Amino acid sequence: MGNLSEIFNLGLFQNTLRTATPVILAALGGLLTEQAGIMNIGMEGMMLVGCFAAVAVSFAMANALMGVFAAVMCGIVIGIFFAVFVVKLRSDEFIIGMALNTFAAGTTVFLLRSIFGVKGTFADKGIIPLPSVNLPWLESIPVIGPLLNGHSVFVYITWVFVFLVWFLLYKTPYGFWIRAAGEHPESLATAGINPDKMKFIASILCGILCGFAGAHLSLGYLTMFAEGMSANRGFIAFACVIFGMANPPRVFLAALLFGFLNALGLRLQSVGIPPDITAMTPYVVTVLMLVYIVTAGEAKRRRRAKRLVAEQKT
Amino acid sequence: MNKFRIDYSYIASLFISIAVALLIGALLILATGHSPGEGYGAMIEGVFGNSRVFGNTVAKSMNLCLTALAMAVAAKAGMFNVGGEGQLYLGGLAATMVGVIMSSASPIIVIPLAIVAGAIVGGAFAWIPAWLRVKFNVSEVITTIMLNSAAIFFCKYLINGPLKSTEKGVLAATENVFAFKLAKLIPASNLTTALFYSAGIALLVWYVMGKTTLGLEMKVTGENPKFSEFVGLKRDKMMIWSMIASGAICGVVGMMEVYGIQGRFTENISNEFYFDGMLLAMIMNYNPFGIIAMSFFFGILKIGAYAMELSTGISGEISQIIFAIIIFLMAAQGGFKQYFGGVFGKLKARDEERRIEMEESLDDMELDGMSSKGGR
Amino acid sequence: MNSESSTETKEIIVQFKNVSMEFPGVLANDDVSLEIRRGEVFALVGENGAGKSTLMNVLYGINKPTAGEVYVKGEKLESFHPSVSIAKGIGMVHQHFMLVPSFTVAQNIVLSKEPRKSGFIYDLAKANEITENLVKEYGLKVNPKDILRETSVGIQQRVEILKTLYRGADVLILDEPTAVLTPSETEELFQVIKRVVREIGMTVIIITHKLYEVMAISDRVGVMRQGKLVGVRNTSDVNERILAEMMVGREVLLDKLERTGKVGDVKISVRDLFVADNRGLPAVNGISLDVREGEVLGIAAIEGNGQSELIEAITGLRHIESGEVFIQGKNATKLSAREIREEGMAHIPEDRISTGVSGPSTIVENIIIGKERRRPFSWKGIHLRKSSIIRYAEDLFKRFDIRGAGISTQVESLSGGNMQKVVVAREFSYDTPVFVIAQPTRGVDIGAMEFIHDKIIEKRNNGAAVLLASADLDEVFRLSDRIVTIYEGKITGHFKAGEISKMDIGYYMTGDRRETGDE
Repeated sequence: MGNLSEIFNLGLFQNTLRTATPVILAALGGLLTEQAGIMNIGMEGMMLVGCFAAVAVSFAMANALMGVFAAVMCGIVIGIFFAVFVVKLRSDEFIIGMALNTFAAGTTVFLLRSIFGVKGTFADKGIIPLPSVNLPWLESIPVIGPLLNGHSVFVYITWVFVFLVWFLLYKTPYGFWIRAAGEHPESLATAGINPDKMKFIASILCGILCGFAGAHLSLGYLTMFAEGMSANRGFIAFACVIFGMANPPRVFLAALLFGFLNALGLRLQSVGIPPDITAMTPYVVTVLMLVYIVTAGEAKRRRRAKRLVAEQKT
Repeated sequence: MNKFRIDYSYIASLFISIAVALLIGALLILATGHSPGEGYGAMIEGVFGNSRVFGNTVAKSMNLCLTALAMAVAAKAGMFNVGGEGQLYLGGLAATMVGVIMSSASPIIVIPLAIVAGAIVGGAFAWIPAWLRVKFNVSEVITTIMLNSAAIFFCKYLINGPLKSTEKGVLAATENVFAFKLAKLIPASNLTTALFYSAGIALLVWYVMGKTTLGLEMKVTGENPKFSEFVGLKRDKMMIWSMIASGAICGVVGMMEVYGIQGRFTENISNEFYFDGMLLAMIMNYNPFGIIAMSFFFGILKIGAYAMELSTGISGEISQIIFAIIIFLMAAQGGFKQYFGGVFGKLKARDEERRIEMEESLDDMELDGMSSKGGR
Repeated sequence: MNSESSTETKEIIVQFKNVSMEFPGVLANDDVSLEIRRGEVFALVGENGAGKSTLMNVLYGINKPTAGEVYVKGEKLESFHPSVSIAKGIGMVHQHFMLVPSFTVAQNIVLSKEPRKSGFIYDLAKANEITENLVKEYGLKVNPKDILRETSVGIQQRVEILKTLYRGADVLILDEPTAVLTPSETEELFQVIKRVVREIGMTVIIITHKLYEVMAISDRVGVMRQGKLVGVRNTSDVNERILAEMMVGREVLLDKLERTGKVGDVKISVRDLFVADNRGLPAVNGISLDVREGEVLGIAAIEGNGQSELIEAITGLRHIESGEVFIQGKNATKLSAREIREEGMAHIPEDRISTGVSGPSTIVENIIIGKERRRPFSWKGIHLRKSSIIRYAEDLFKRFDIRGAGISTQVESLSGGNMQKVVVAREFSYDTPVFVIAQPTRGVDIGAMEFIHDKIIEKRNNGAAVLLASADLDEVFRLSDRIVTIYEGKITGHFKAGEISKMDIGYYMTGDRRETGDE
């Protein structure tokens, strides 16, 4: 039992929040494009560029905020780039997403090498990290206080974003247009709104959110840039989007679950459960979840058919 | 756009894309303070400079070509296998274990068994998403993406745990299979007799896809699954088996990496090889000939860039950037043609085509043709 | 029916001036000039592909005409975009509804013109209120909070109409509005049309090719043929025969089909069949029928009464909830499409594009598929023998009079008629004793239609059992030896050819009359 309390302590949940944050941010972006009818697997690359831009500018200008700003600007550029190919030039979104990942991986390493002359990792005292938030009044609340207090500022901003994205999608006309553009673009077009424009907007917002995710990763979560440091988080975010059916609160929970399993994995090592096993669980769970969603819908339809036919017969 | 077909206009686009990408690459080299001539020269030197580097280039191309063909085999029957990376890992690990377990047997037995083991395990792992797709209509794109990560973590677990080598100083790897390493065709290079196996696989894929009843049935199934069922083809079986074949090829690629190059299974057995192959297959419209030709180009690019970095200090990542740019441009070539209409002539604007399709299907939906004409 | 006042004096609300619309290779509208008057019901009729929908899509701003001008209320349309046309008061209800399935009825109605509070917040309660008000005002009953996906086709059409009304449309274009409606829903729709015209002076343009509807609802009628407007008449001055002749350009006299052979054993037997549609709703409700060799059994039914699901169930393409199907005496209830074909059935599906062909494949591939493993087309069922295949395909290409650049043409580039001939060529070259044929000539020109009819009767005369379903009543009457009528998934009547007139059978198709006793 002693072990259990060692594993399931406050640190675990703090870690969950920490590790989940970049994934939540990227997944919020991914769910916007998903809602707009674009299967976006380029979040990995979008994030990576954000990581690099944030570190490079934070280092160059000795200002973390400018780093974040740069990451977001890069996000906007990539979002536009993505949308130009996928929406305007009608390229296959899958190819573009994958190529974007390759491009981002190549470009960041190329720039790392060309500008900073290093290979692999760039960590320097000159990189200004994002501040952490310490609120004395929050700290004083038992359990919740220590859990919620003391995180990097983006952990909190992310929660606001979850609300904002949800609000945008379900409480404003623009959200309805984005969703209509994804679900039935012709109906939006005949109502006089260009669905392509909505897809563009969704892509740009996704770029921005992935930019934030990247900035958090390289300035909040860590304070450095490492080759391929997005480390599959873009794909995890994609899994969260699917798992949460592109609904912001659900995606948020899915990302927390992923973060939890990740944090748990590190701790379970102490009781002999290999971290790789916990790391693979979320992916397997997503597949099972997907199967469940699809089969449950089909089973419901079948049952209904059976019941109605039986009624007809009598 | 027509799948599997490559016409002159397509080839023209390809050359233009390559030229543009190389030009951008040249600008990047310039930006690093070197001359493009120096950079590309080093690249060519690094590929054709001696027989060893040439051998490495061929080996790399072979790897790309097989993963791309794996993608194409599944795509032919309409299955989108993104999971090759995971299939490669599991297949490779299974193949390695054959050598590890049968360490005292003859290579004549072990090598074929290892190939078979890689193919079976890779194929079996590809069966899961295929079955889910056919049985429950769960998108194989998403499941294969997920299963990739699952498989890789699973392999990592195994080589860190139950299958970990007992050798000193070896981290996260299986026991070695040095005794069974494939014979080198060019000394000191990565080019081994795996070339023959690869050529055999490529030939088989090309033959089945282009010349057989099965290839025709797969093509029709991929183009219109509903029609395939309607016309009485074994649609579900075909979709599942094309995916299994794809996974099996990936498994064999994993086997070749171990027995040809690395000598043991490590977590770096593949560096997203499958994704490169997948993209290559997609821009070549899944055409086997195109894939074989293009894999040599990309093989040269990759190995050349590595050599360029060693000799000039220019980041070899330029090859990835060039690769990605070519992919971008080729993925967008239909769109570009529409946009700058008439530059390439022939191709109809895609939107117009779509609109016509829509009109036609609308017309086809028109019902009840004059049902009461002259009736009353 | 005519509206009470003469429409001639009324103001012109929409004017097409020499409008041409060209798609690559197709002149869909050819120099069309047409005037629509305020407050009239104008019917636009024509055969498939005559260019009716294309012309109206120009007015609605979806198509940009390649030549000519369009005026709405005296003002020229400077650019073509739905938002421009909507602003000018044009509303269009497309044949395929332009609605978002996961939104509610109200959310669909206000889409793009959502009520807002404080600038950017969507006022959802207001949207419901707006819908309630529209419902009250126009008497089109819908429930604002229903999720659209779960509503019936009739309701969805009302939503479409309300959508246009909410946008302040005073010109309403209805594209084939009755194609998906049941007879009672059609009647309701006509009541609505009459009411909006009478009460708010709406102008309604209805695209159709059901001539009795033209007679029932319109004031004036324009006839289109091959992209040209061939005439505009007052509905009171014409009858259906005149319109039909204008539509096809000549009097339709099809050769009489010669029937020989004897009726033999039962080949298709359907027993008490229940089948659900895609949404899981009952579509076929206890149908039993038999088809014997040497006869054509025709199914006469209005679209959406379960005949499609019945055909799919018989051919193994749809799950059977209960009941049994026998093909040549063998129980085929649980067999797959492939196994049923092996029992000796060939099938022409109702939707050739989605089911009947592989569009990107060539004619030759579409013709050979299904037989590719037989001799002489392959060596031991493995290696394709190109020369035999090409010879065979060339032969069918000629025999079935397929018009295309050659057998290596991609099927998706063919016209509807030629595409259908590819389907017919493939299916009829199986010498099966059983044929299930759905909509064999939908969207096909008259020449091809006669050809296909001849082929069907030839099969029948040679002793095949043919089950035919067609929405074209003339086709059913021309080809069938016996006819059953289906209404709401049940058989309502069963007749021998010549026993009943086309007019009388309409009562059975709409459920107004039923035979007593089953089948």
